[in-house]
Amino acid sequence: MTGRVLVITSGKGGVGKTTTTANIGTALAKAGNKVVLIDTDLGLRNLDLLLGLENRIVYTIVDVVEERCKLKQALVKDKKNPNLCLLAAAQTRDKTAITGEQLKSICEELKEENDFIIIDCPAGIEQGFENATAGASEAIVVATPEMSAVRDADRIIGLLEAKEHIEKYHLLLNRVRPNLIRTNDMMSVEDVVEILSCELIGIIPEDTGIITSTNKGEPIVNDEKSLAGQAYKNVAKRIMGEDVEFLNIDEPQDFISKVKAFFLKLFKKEA
Amino acid sequence: MKEIFADFYNKIVDFFTKTEEKDKTKEVARNRLKLVLMQDRTNLNPRLLERLRGEMIDLLSKYVVMDKELLELNFTPEDDQLALMLSIPVIRAKDEEEIEAALKAEDEEKERLAKLAKEAEEDDDDEEYDELEEGDEEDTEDEEVSENAENEEETVNETSEQTETSEEQPKPKKKKKKKKKKSSQTENSESEENKDNNGNNEENTNAETSQQGENPEQESVSEEQNNSENKEENKEEN
Repeated sequence: MTGRVLVITSGKGGVGKTTTTANIGTALAKAGNKVVLIDTDLGLRNLDLLLGLENRIVYTIVDVVEERCKLKQALVKDKKNPNLCLLAAAQTRDKTAITGEQLKSICEELKEENDFIIIDCPAGIEQGFENATAGASEAIVVATPEMSAVRDADRIIGLLEAKEHIEKYHLLLNRVRPNLIRTNDMMSVEDVVEILSCELIGIIPEDTGIITSTNKGEPIVNDEKSLAGQAYKNVAKRIMGEDVEFLNIDEPQDFISKVKAFFLKLFKKEA
Repeated sequence: MKEIFADFYNKIVDFFTKTEEKDKTKEVARNRLKLVLMQDRTNLNPRLLERLRGEMIDLLSKYVVMDKELLELNFTPEDDQLALMLSIPVIRAKDEEEIEAALKAEDEEKERLAKLAKEAEEDDDDEEYDELEEGDEEDTEDEEVSENAENEEETVNETSEQTETSEEQPKPKKKKKKKKKKSSQTENSESEENKDNNGNNEENTNAETSQQGENPEQESVSEEQNNSENKEENKEEN
């Protein structure tokens, strides 16, 4: 088996890299793939929290690199899904504790027995970013429809393009707020895609469920009712090569906007 | 009665469609982003762009009469490459005589400069003095543009040809001159644009400061997580 190595990156912090990693990984595993998630955010690990595995971590990626344990020993199995494993980052070390080459060889080893290796990249464009992308051949750039996030995403895309081993990259637009887009207070999905001229792999609506799911340590794709969870599942399907239409997230959510949308439709028809 | 009803109806329509028509902050964000990304991608800052624009105008003015204020210079992504789009509102093409005259004037100017440079080369003793003079000029330039124009050109050529070390000095001076030439032509438009630029800069700095304001929060949160996790690890060890 030769698995695919994807890196989830963004440049800017707080746009949802870790959430995306946890959810796409879980969705891929639920679909029957063998998945390993690697947290490369040394010193600021959080992927374990989102997966609810924080109490099970014995060895970290630094232990593997420094040969205090075998790679297999450091893989933490998910509570629910035995197909899903986590290779956690060390919390007490910094980004210099591992090198890109070391991460690359870890990925090579994991590729043999897994379908997907998903790397959670730290924010920024320094050593951490270089390390995280070193072993990957595909990338997903996470951005929100905000100026700073889009600008940083553009920078990241430029850097990814310069890397020969990155064969393809896609844009994942996170925390999209249809209410604000409707009132022209937020850039639309089309705007961002046009500005970045990058192929889209997913549109995730802003969802308060993300907070509660993090509280519980359970990715939102496990919540069947959640719109964001559904959107993440669709991203996983697209990664697997399925042709899935983008979710319509523009359904009015609250009462007033429902009424407004109704009247808008009415007037548009008349005009 | 009918009118009142129609008015009322329009008001209702306005209320529900208002948000659609209004140009809200989204457009502002989009345009600012496009500009800033273009700068990021090309390393061309507003000052250089303005200079490029000015030089384009100087060059093209020899051949056509155009609306200088409406000349647009944009970088747009085209497939994998970046395309420089130049939109020039031509009022009329210059006729042959005018073009010939402009070219001739340019040639004469070049000859004159070359001559001056040659003269200066022969005049080695005055070198230091000229450089000193140059430094003074830079400060007072704004007031005495037209008067000093000739002197300036003289000194620039002298220094750039004579000594390699002083090459750095004349360069920015040349820029300034170019700008001035243009500003005399399109004074209004430039000052307006400058204002615009300033406005943008202010906005940028505001945005930056607000971002910075966010950061400490994030850091403190992560620190907390750090601490709590460290504690947990300690517990485990114990």
